[in-house]
Amino acid sequence: METILEARALTKDYEDFSLRGISLEVRRGSIAGIFGPNGAGKSTLIKVLTHQVPHRTGTVRVFGQSYEEHEPGIKNRIGYVPQEPAFYMDRSVRWTARFAAPYFANWDGSCFYKLLDDFKVNPLRQVKHLSGGQRKLLSLALALSHGADLLVLDEPTAGLDIVYRRALLDRLRAFVADGDRTVIVASHITDGLDEIAEDVWFLNDGRIVTHEDKDELLSRWKWIHFREGALPRAVEDRLKNVRRQPFGSSGLTDEFCELRDELATALAAGDARLENASLEDILLTQIKEE
Amino acid sequence: MQAKQLFISLLPSNPDPMYKQATDQIKDAIATGDLGPGDRLPSVRELSEALKVSAITIKRAYLDLETEGYILTRAGLGSFVADVDRNILRERKLGEVRAEMRRIVRTGSKFGITLDDIIRLTRQLEREPYGDDSGS
Repeated sequence: METILEARALTKDYEDFSLRGISLEVRRGSIAGIFGPNGAGKSTLIKVLTHQVPHRTGTVRVFGQSYEEHEPGIKNRIGYVPQEPAFYMDRSVRWTARFAAPYFANWDGSCFYKLLDDFKVNPLRQVKHLSGGQRKLLSLALALSHGADLLVLDEPTAGLDIVYRRALLDRLRAFVADGDRTVIVASHITDGLDEIAEDVWFLNDGRIVTHEDKDELLSRWKWIHFREGALPRAVEDRLKNVRRQPFGSSGLTDEFCELRDELATALAAGDARLENASLEDILLTQIKEE
Repeated sequence: MQAKQLFISLLPSNPDPMYKQATDQIKDAIATGDLGPGDRLPSVRELSEALKVSAITIKRAYLDLETEGYILTRAGLGSFVADVDRNILRERKLGEVRAEMRRIVRTGSKFGITLDDIIRLTRQLEREPYGDDSGS
């Protein structure tokens, strides 16, 4: 599996916040999701990975190259959608595209206007008259219109209604469909991006708490609802987040595969039931455990 | 007889609506004896709070149970398990077992597993010490 982006032991210090030794590898053709609460360091990490702010120590290589030697070449191949896109507010959408085009070697105007049409953004409008969601889509259209091989998005669904959010998710899936292009997306999770991400990283307080293939992660984390006293003691003791209620208790396990046999009796007797855990459940539990 | 504690859990991933999961599980509790005739059911509020669903969901479940004759609701007193005919409970469960068996028999014929195989497996399972197959 080819690595498209590789970070090694990255650190970055702000006065009140640090990235504390981040290492990650993003596979070509994947959708990589970086999830975490506000203030976890998602935006800082994204900015370091796209070389918009310098890091203190560590290395970043994109497409096998370093920014130090190949910055213009790398940046040409990255489509970036910032959390809060900055535009000249008094200018039109069309002016914005003309302004941006010379910065990219492979600008494709017809692709851009086709996307605007799909997103129902009027090219003649002044940017200040677009809604927050439309500005986000304008930023996405720009990022998708210069032949990028890697799309990096920071909280891309913020401000989008459900229709445009769905359009964005479909667009991201289509972007990676041929297996050559890659998406890295940072998000606080509850917005559908957890659906499409394949590799997930949980970030908390400037560190990576978890990195795993999403399917693997979801297959080992399960909610177990159980009748009080129905589970073997050893199993119950290993559950996290146990909530005791009058009509049945519940707890999370992150080792469902190992516990499966021990749960079989209670499951067959109807004294225990299983429920999938969401990425949000898992992230919250891990943050709490820190 | 000491009634076992009521165990109800409503799962969003279950294809059945919440109120139906509740009625089915209460029927099961009556069938297994966890709830006996005359036992008082938790109040709507108690159950809706514990299960984190709206009172409307539980009210609907209780209403259905009452319509089907499983419980009786007395204004101001609460809901109580009715004197349910054990045969009705058995018939209901038999229907579920039948549906499961149909699935097993069809799976079997699709993958070349004969009825004899299935019967042999069933006997084997019955001999397994129920409730203690985890430790061995």
